[in-house]
Amino acid sequence: MLYYLLLATAVASAVFAARSRRQIFIAGVLFYLVQALFAAHVLCGGACDPLSAQWFAFDASAILFYVLLCIVSCYAFVHSEAYLADCDLGQVRTYSALLMLLTTAIAGAYFADNLAVTWIFLEATTLCSAGIVYHRRTAATLEAAWKYVFVCSTGIAMAYLGILLLAAATKCESLAYADVAAAAPAGSPLYLKTAFLLILCGYSCKVELFPLYTVGVDANFAAPSPASALISTGLVNAGFLAVLRVYKTLAQTDVFPWVRAVLLLVGVLSLVIGALFLRRTNNYKRFLSYSTVENMGIAAIGLGIGGAGVWAAVFHVVCHTLVKSSLFFQMAVVRQVYNGYRINRLGDYIRINRIGAIGLLAGMVTLLAFPPSPLFVSELMILREVIAVHKWWLVAVMTLLLCIVIYSFCSRMIRLCYQPNQDELHPSKADRALSWSALSLLIAALVLGMWQPDFLCRIIDQIAAL
Amino acid sequence: MILPLVILYTVTLVYLSITERFRNFASIMGLQGWLLFAVAVLRLHAVDPAELTFVAIETLLFKGILVPALLFAVIRRTKINRVRTSGSSQAGSLLLSLLALVVSASVTYYIADATVDLVFFGVALYALLSGLILIVMRRRIFSHMVGFLTIENGVFLFSTAIGVEMPLLINFAILLDILISVLMLGIFFTKIDGKIHADDADALTNVKD
Repeated sequence: MLYYLLLATAVASAVFAARSRRQIFIAGVLFYLVQALFAAHVLCGGACDPLSAQWFAFDASAILFYVLLCIVSCYAFVHSEAYLADCDLGQVRTYSALLMLLTTAIAGAYFADNLAVTWIFLEATTLCSAGIVYHRRTAATLEAAWKYVFVCSTGIAMAYLGILLLAAATKCESLAYADVAAAAPAGSPLYLKTAFLLILCGYSCKVELFPLYTVGVDANFAAPSPASALISTGLVNAGFLAVLRVYKTLAQTDVFPWVRAVLLLVGVLSLVIGALFLRRTNNYKRFLSYSTVENMGIAAIGLGIGGAGVWAAVFHVVCHTLVKSSLFFQMAVVRQVYNGYRINRLGDYIRINRIGAIGLLAGMVTLLAFPPSPLFVSELMILREVIAVHKWWLVAVMTLLLCIVIYSFCSRMIRLCYQPNQDELHPSKADRALSWSALSLLIAALVLGMWQPDFLCRIIDQIAAL
Repeated sequence: MILPLVILYTVTLVYLSITERFRNFASIMGLQGWLLFAVAVLRLHAVDPAELTFVAIETLLFKGILVPALLFAVIRRTKINRVRTSGSSQAGSLLLSLLALVVSASVTYYIADATVDLVFFGVALYALLSGLILIVMRRRIFSHMVGFLTIENGVFLFSTAIGVEMPLLINFAILLDILISVLMLGIFFTKIDGKIHADDADALTNVKD
């Protein structure tokens, strides 16, 4: 693992010294070759070297999310080539290097088998993301970058306080998840509760959950669309995995019902915020970001309900990764055409780029969990579990909010595709190859909706096992 | 010896809530840095000498010297001297701060657990609340940054309480220090005011729905 981290960081850092776009591209190919080799190593059951075994583990959750990360990051790199065509070499160099470093930091967070190591890599993602968010060097991107750094740093500091409390409560010499989980049942319940609350609050800026979800939305808005795809899926998954690991660490303690209740509350609040702001925003990228808040809220509800809800939450996050990244990549093509994301100005996309419009409409249907969407499977499982525990108020709230989400999505996406342009926009030509490429991720998600392979079910079974 | 230092640290937190001059904010941050340096040296005397030296030098360098120096540099550069638009009066801020102190003391008393040094826990909690109050109640971006540094100092103080058993945790707190010093202060010092005016957080409201 250490060799992988060193090699990936070295290749990514080499991009800073690139003197042409071709060199950046070659470094990119090299970087994704390293990722592919490492993915092959972990998928073939390769072991962690003894030096890094005390910090990292190649468990099922890390492997699954890492493979997804590699796919999304590789797509992001390829789409960025076209997206950044008008940028100067310096900007492209910094952006590409930071994109690779962000991928490496996220991978580190996935494989971390220690509370503190997870925290360090999540902290590293803040550094890389902030640079990407500030890519355009405008007042708006500086504002978004400043807010991102400020709020994420506050969140990370709070999470660290939570980790300190967890360490104090369990009196555990090491902060390995397994060791803390073994010692946690003997810990003071109040300390454990406070620790979980602080960690959840802190990491909520990464998972894009209530209360610190705002920075994720701002970051996605300011960053180039292909990078937003990575931030909104790979980085969000890193936060989700960090929370899931703490959740599993506390599974054998007396405070676990309380932990689940907190997650349920946070999930409902995130769903409320996501649904309401989907109606309010006037920017397609912020629109997709609020959809991430809404979907992570559903995943948090799954964790909060427990039982099959945990399985459904993990499956939901896996499929959301494919669907949301596809939509962000489609949005990058939309920007190429209209040079903007304002909802009330854009329209007639179906005539300009038919395949892109089909991708957006199909993505909308998939994200709204209509069959054969994989999200239909996960949301149905969560709702079934909610009904099984007789939380009727939650069924009512979820149904109402999901109806608002459906209405918002349909009205916005149909407007983009069919409404005539509102003013004298001069659409450019769309790159259909990019639309096809984004569509391929959506097709992969739809295949998962119709057929969940055994190995994927087994992996999710392992992840969801408490 | 540690207790008077921690009490003095608590007093600086109370003072932070009533002061309106940014020079005082920067001075308090410097004083807190030196207090944390003294606490770290006294508290961690049992750990490996090399580790102790590293922690002491880092604390002194970053918290005691670099951060206050950068804050003073920002004040000189932006020519902002005091809190002009505060969300509440000084008396209101003081009351809120004292309320936070009472809440922290009550929580500490309530959990009364032998596994954690309660004085450190209580003060760290108070620092966290003080920082949050400063961020929420004050309008200027500079105050927000000081609020964050207050939280960060509180977290570091708490890490020294646990660090005797687990020195590694202090190194992670140091990592947080470096992140803040380099990234946050770096952005603030080099970018803000050029594109965004540093005198009011209202300037940070363009990215919204």
